[in-house]
Parts: sequence; C-alpha cells; structure tokens
Amino acid sequence: MKGLLKVFEAIRPSFEQGGKLRVFKPVFEALDEAFFAPSATTVTAPHVRDPLDVKRFMAMVVIALFPCVLAAFYFFGLRFAVMILVSYAAGGAVEVVFAMVRKENINEGFLVTGMLFPLILPPTLPLWMVGLGVAFGVFIGKELFGGTGRNVFNPALVGRCFLALAYPAKMSASWLGPGNGLTGRLFEYAGASAVDSLSSATPLAMAKQGQFIGLREMFLGNISGSAGETSAIAIILGGVFLLLTRVASWRTVASILGSFVLLAGALHYAQPGTFGPVLWHLCAGGLLFGAFFMATDPVTSPITNTGKWFYGIIIGSVTVLIRNFTGYVEGVTFAILLGNIVAPILDEIVVGVRIRRLRSEG
Amino acid sequence: MSETSAWVIFIAAIFTNNILLTNFLGMCSFIACSGQIRTSLGLGTAVTFVLTMTTMLNYAIYHFVLVPYGLGHLQFIVFIAVIAAFVQLVEMFVERFSPKLYFALGIFLPLITVNCAILGASLFMIIREYSFLQSVGFGLGAGIGWAVAIVMLAGLRQKMRYSNIPEPFQGVPIAMVVTGVLAMAFMGFAGMVSIQ
Repeated sequence: MKGLLKVFEAIRPSFEQGGKLRVFKPVFEALDEAFFAPSATTVTAPHVRDPLDVKRFMAMVVIALFPCVLAAFYFFGLRFAVMILVSYAAGGAVEVVFAMVRKENINEGFLVTGMLFPLILPPTLPLWMVGLGVAFGVFIGKELFGGTGRNVFNPALVGRCFLALAYPAKMSASWLGPGNGLTGRLFEYAGASAVDSLSSATPLAMAKQGQFIGLREMFLGNISGSAGETSAIAIILGGVFLLLTRVASWRTVASILGSFVLLAGALHYAQPGTFGPVLWHLCAGGLLFGAFFMATDPVTSPITNTGKWFYGIIIGSVTVLIRNFTGYVEGVTFAILLGNIVAPILDEIVVGVRIRRLRSEG
Repeated sequence: MSETSAWVIFIAAIFTNNILLTNFLGMCSFIACSGQIRTSLGLGTAVTFVLTMTTMLNYAIYHFVLVPYGLGHLQFIVFIAVIAAFVQLVEMFVERFSPKLYFALGIFLPLITVNCAILGASLFMIIREYSFLQSVGFGLGAGIGWAVAIVMLAGLRQKMRYSNIPEPFQGVPIAMVVTGVLAMAFMGFAGMVSIQ
C-alpha cells in the first residue's frame, strides 16, 4: 500500500492546477479515493464525524445488491457480466466527460446506477441497447440536473423507461428461461439465439393467459424475468441488509408493499379468477426489487417521513393499477417514476401542513 | 356518437389522454408559469374552471345555434370569442377576490384565452362527437389533467432550484426535458382506458 501511495503522491502534481494532465484530474481523484480515504478536512463548521459519507452509502447499496447479482449469474449466465461491463463503460463515459467539463470529482453514485441498470433489464437484450439506455439515463436523468444528489428522477429508471418505450418489441421479448441444476447457466453465454419464446415467458405475461407459476419457483427465482428481479429470496436478503444499515427507509418499503398487498388482495378477493393471489403478485415481476432498491433512493424520494408514507402508497397502488388494467404487463418502472415526480409536492404539502400547525399553536 | 361513458372519458382525459402530456397543448403557460407550486395550482384551477365551462358553453352554442343554422364552419371564431369573453369574466373575478393570485399570474391570466388546451378541448369535443354529459366529463378531466401536469412540473422545478444545471439547459430547456420524462411516465397508463 505504501508503494502505491508513493506513486499517487509522485504523479499528483501533474494533475493539479497548472499540471500537464489537469483535464484528467477527476479520473485521478477517483482512482486515488478508491484506494485511500481523502485527507481533506472541513475548514469551518459543521464538522461531520459520521463515517457514513456518500461513498460508503453507495457502497452499502452495491453490497446489498450482491445476492441479486449472484442469482442473476446463476440463472442467466455469463452474458450478464458483459451487460454489467457495457453498462459501467457507457454510463461511466458520460459521467467522466461531465466531470471533466465541470472540473468536479467523479461521483460514486454511478457505481450504483451502473449496477442497478443491467439488473432491471431482460437478460438477452442487445448490448448496444444496454449502453444506449444507461447513457440516456445518466445523461437525461442525472447529469443534466447537476449530477449525483441533484437528480429528480432515478437515472436507472429513466433509462429503462426510455428503452421500454423506444424498443417495446425487444424489451418484451428478450427473456430467457432460467438455468437449472448445480451450476445453472454459470458457465454459459446465452445470447439472443437461446431465446425460446415458449419456455421464457415471464410469470406476469403468462398470468395474462391465465397460467400461474408456482410460488416456490417464484420465491427462489427459478423463473423468467429481468436479470435481477426473479429471485425474491435474494432481493429480500439484500433488502433486509439495506434496512438494517438504515440506508433504505423502512417507511418507503413498508408503505409500498403494504398498499400493494391491500389493493391486490382486494382485487383477488373480488374476482379470484381474473386477478392473481397476493403472495404470487408480491413475488412476481420487479415489485420487490423496485421497493427495496429503486424507490428507496434517498435523493429522489421525499425527505419528510410522512411524505415517504404517501410516496410508497402512490407507488404501490399505481403498480397494481398498471399491472392489472393497462396494456403493460409490468408497471413498477412507471410507478416509481411517477413517485419520483410527485415526491417534491408531497414534501411541500407535509411541510406546509406542519408550518400551519406550528403557527396555530404558537 | 361515441358510446363511452362520461366517467371513463373523465378518467382517460386525466391519465391516458392527458391533454398536455399526450397532445402537448397549452405548453406556453405550462412552461412559463410553473416556477412555484402555489402559482401553478392557481393557474391550474383557473384553467380547469375555464375549460369545463367553455366546453359546456361551446357545446350548447355549436349544437343549438351553429348546426341548426348551417354555420358549422364558423366554429373556430365563435369558440375563440366565447372563450375570450369567459376569461374576461374569470379575470375580473380573480382580481376582485384574490389580488395576490392575480398579480402572481400576471399576463398569463388573460393569456388563458389563447391557451391552446382550451380551444383544443372544444374542438376535440366536436370531432369526437361527444354528447353533453361526455363533454362535461372530458372538459373537467382535461382541465384537471392539465392542472396535475403543471403542478408536478412546478414541484420538480422548485426542487431543481439549487441544482447545478449546465448553462445552456437552464430555464426553459430543462423544463422541456422534465416534461418529456413526465410524458414518459404517463405512457405507463396507456391502455387502461381509451378514447379514440
């Protein structure tokens, strides 16, 4: 480690003001901070002592995604690794260019977006679409608003929404039957040629034809679907980790799942033939993944606790609505995006009500 | 005459056929008056009110005056005149009862007259051959849909006030980008209910 530190210190001057390579300062800083904690201390108050900075925060999410990533490798094979690579490369390029032009540091936020994005895509989607989608998401969804912490929409969701609307055929047909046995598809590279439209229909699509896949498969993840969303148990593992470390707000998760269960339950109770059972719906599609990993993004969800409850209720009920009543099979993407959109209004209402109450008391 | 119930048309006009996010009508005041949630809520309410009332008025005038006398081709002029007159009334009303809102809206209150969403709604009503009840549902829904969209945009713009937006994108351009994402999110409702 000491040798590495020496190397960094030796080449640092050429990246500082006046150095030859100062354009690449963001790249240097990112590499530097990946190995060593930044030595900078705040000059004036407030002095934050909590070690949970943005980088650690984002690292927690990446760690929490680990079970899902492993499940994705097991069920859908090595191609998923290439998807991650493409996602990091394309989105990272946008990020680096913006950091250079703005002369800011490269932000850790992208580590999460780049990992989340392939997890919510169909496993045999053409690679150029993966790149295009993540570049669109990072550019429109994040960088135009000023980068990490300033974005009003979840970048990964903007990217996915864009792909779903621009290439609906590919996005709804690039599914892959999951791997089985001891090694699953771990040593396979299953591209578009492996797509078998019969065996790889997603549970939600099959449900539209009245076929419901067993709950056990849905829970373990032995089903077709987006790369990271199939295995409920892996998502719950990671999600509980996020809740325990308080990176994700339990209020958001509870209100999404709660409102979803209530509404889906009511529908199933009214017409058991048309609408699937609650537990089945809970494990199907991207609901769990969205609730734990996408909706809880602290930047794009409301700040106030009461706002979070309403935010979750909106996401949960819109998901039920889109799943059961529209032309789309799955609605979590749209629902969370709508949640992001109304989040600032919810905050405004909550703060307004609170101020009014304080005034009337005072 | 379309057979869809007024209730369905009302819901569709808010979600699936949002007059702003799918037809992109009424963009000028949508972009210009969405700096603050409070102002946009005021404008949204005014537009909803004007839209509902003028669709009803225009329905009556079209079907009981213009058509019987074979003057259907005058619909554009007549509709605009009705809308302008009605907006004048609303303006006087707002000035009297909420001067604060009156000054916040400024020129955009009289400009409701030329808000294309309002004329658009009246014309859609004729083209789609709505009955009176359907027209009321459509007018109210379109107005509420417009109001919902502008309040959403205002909320997001308020949140973006401290964002480090690249210089060429500040102001109107970023509002257009946000509108695009709003429209994308609303596409999710496609197929829930549909009107033409």
